Amino acid sequence: MTPILELDRATKAFGGVTAVDALSFVAPRGQVTGLMGPNGAGKTTVINLISGLLHVDSGRIALNGTDVSAQKPHHIGALGLARTYQNVRLISGLTALEQVVAGSFLKRDTSMLASFLHTPAARHRMRAIREKALHLLDRVGMAHSADVLAETLSYGEQRRVEIARALGADPVLLLLDEPTAGMNPAESAEIGRLTHKLRDEGLSILMVEHNMKLVVDFCDSVIVMNFGRLIARGAPTECIRDPHVQEAYFGKQRHDADGLRAVG
Amino acid sequence: MDYLSDLWATNRSTVAFAMVNSLFALSTYVVLAAGFLSFSTVVFAAVGGFVGAQLVVKGVGLPFVFGAAAGGGLLISLLVAAVFLRLNSHWMALASLALVLITRVVTLNAPALTGGVNGLGVPLALPMDWLTGVLVLTVLAFYALHHSWFGVASRVLREDPSVAACMGVDLRQIQLIAFGISGIVGGIGGAAYAMLLQFISPDTFFLGIAFTMIAATVLGGSYHWFGPVVGAVVYTALPIVMQAFLPHLLQEVANGVVLLLIMIFLPRGLIDPRAVRLRRAAPAAAGVMKIRA
Repeated sequence: MTPILELDRATKAFGGVTAVDALSFVAPRGQVTGLMGPNGAGKTTVINLISGLLHVDSGRIALNGTDVSAQKPHHIGALGLARTYQNVRLISGLTALEQVVAGSFLKRDTSMLASFLHTPAARHRMRAIREKALHLLDRVGMAHSADVLAETLSYGEQRRVEIARALGADPVLLLLDEPTAGMNPAESAEIGRLTHKLRDEGLSILMVEHNMKLVVDFCDSVIVMNFGRLIARGAPTECIRDPHVQEAYFGKQRHDADGLRAVG
Repeated sequence: MDYLSDLWATNRSTVAFAMVNSLFALSTYVVLAAGFLSFSTVVFAAVGGFVGAQLVVKGVGLPFVFGAAAGGGLLISLLVAAVFLRLNSHWMALASLALVLITRVVTLNAPALTGGVNGLGVPLALPMDWLTGVLVLTVLAFYALHHSWFGVASRVLREDPSVAACMGVDLRQIQLIAFGISGIVGGIGGAAYAMLLQFISPDTFFLGIAFTMIAATVLGGSYHWFGPVVGAVVYTALPIVMQAFLPHLLQEVANGVVLLLIMIFLPRGLIDPRAVRLRRAAPAAAGVMKIRA
């Protein structure tokens, strides 16, 4: 079976800085894969390359077996990729429910003309999408705020609405860019459990995460990068013990045990 | 009754101008709502205006006049979009202004089509019921658009193009549709304007009307289709109302001051669905606070 995501020597430079340097990794289908690395390691650039907001200078990115290296974001979205953003990017002026309905754009199953004419089929489809959107809000625990202007919600709540919005597109691969930033430990664990539920339903997830406890508890495998390069991959607990990873996160002189204590 | 008919007689033309300006403002709004500030409605209006005027001169019926004006507007808007959609938002605003200047030169130098410097007389006054009918249909179309997937996509696109693209929105498609609608409505508005003035010249579709369109749209609010309509009505009626209160010398200044005040205190325009929702949310939040206390 082809992996859901495959990077083959993907490289991206901004001027003289190589943000992603011949990075190769594979995200297996039906798993939660963690993407770790200290600040400035190039994680967000990787996410932007995968979603098509940036394009590789060289190398190849394949989603579900299809080369998407030169594709536009909306084509990659149509191939089954959905994402969230490091600093929540919800749409100002829309309610939580409207955000998720907008996220279902790819599943509208209605031509622009039919939608404009409000044909019975188009209205029926729109009702179905609203119901599904409400269900998705329920899944992330936000159904009670469906009709609330999303920008008035707390940061953690907005993150959950953003996840529901990404799920609206029925993706095959979900990219979560620091999904628990700004959340307390209980809320973070809730997000972790949600990723497991989604995984068990067949969704593949690639998660950029700083919260090591979350990575250890909920990622099936991790990829660690630093300065745009892969420095470790494998099971989360082993990766965290890897001397290269320790060095990247805590500097050279530290002893392993100190590092582990620091990550809690 | 006499009073009412007098009132109508004195204000009839103001109402008609407000309605035509609504069409222009809606044409500007649909492009602005897809993320582009553009003066190109002036060009669509010029095409609709001269096409409409020529057909009226030839004695063609009104349905065909409006149909041809809409078609002409659509055609030119798609041409403009093909070039403009390569530009970034702020450059597009400048480019569209340049296009307005070019349009005037072209209309001046094509006397066979436009009457050149002498302009073109339009031997038909626009019946009020026609104007009303056209505006009502346009507003209904905008209502339908607002609640369609095009509306959803353009709201997301305007706020955050990257997010829209990752959601699967083909930005170019939505922007092209927006320009097309702008062209149709601008063309219809141009034809209506020609019959309202009964005389058009290259100066009719120039900077004055460009300013009116943008000012009415921004004043009314560009976040809901009702905004441009309200903006056009206020912007058209304001000078008339000022006339009654102020000496002539102060009128223009007062117009400007009122517009400035509205833009300072209501930067998102008179009609802002987000503000309404925030106000609605406020008492609810206050209620929660009370319970917690």
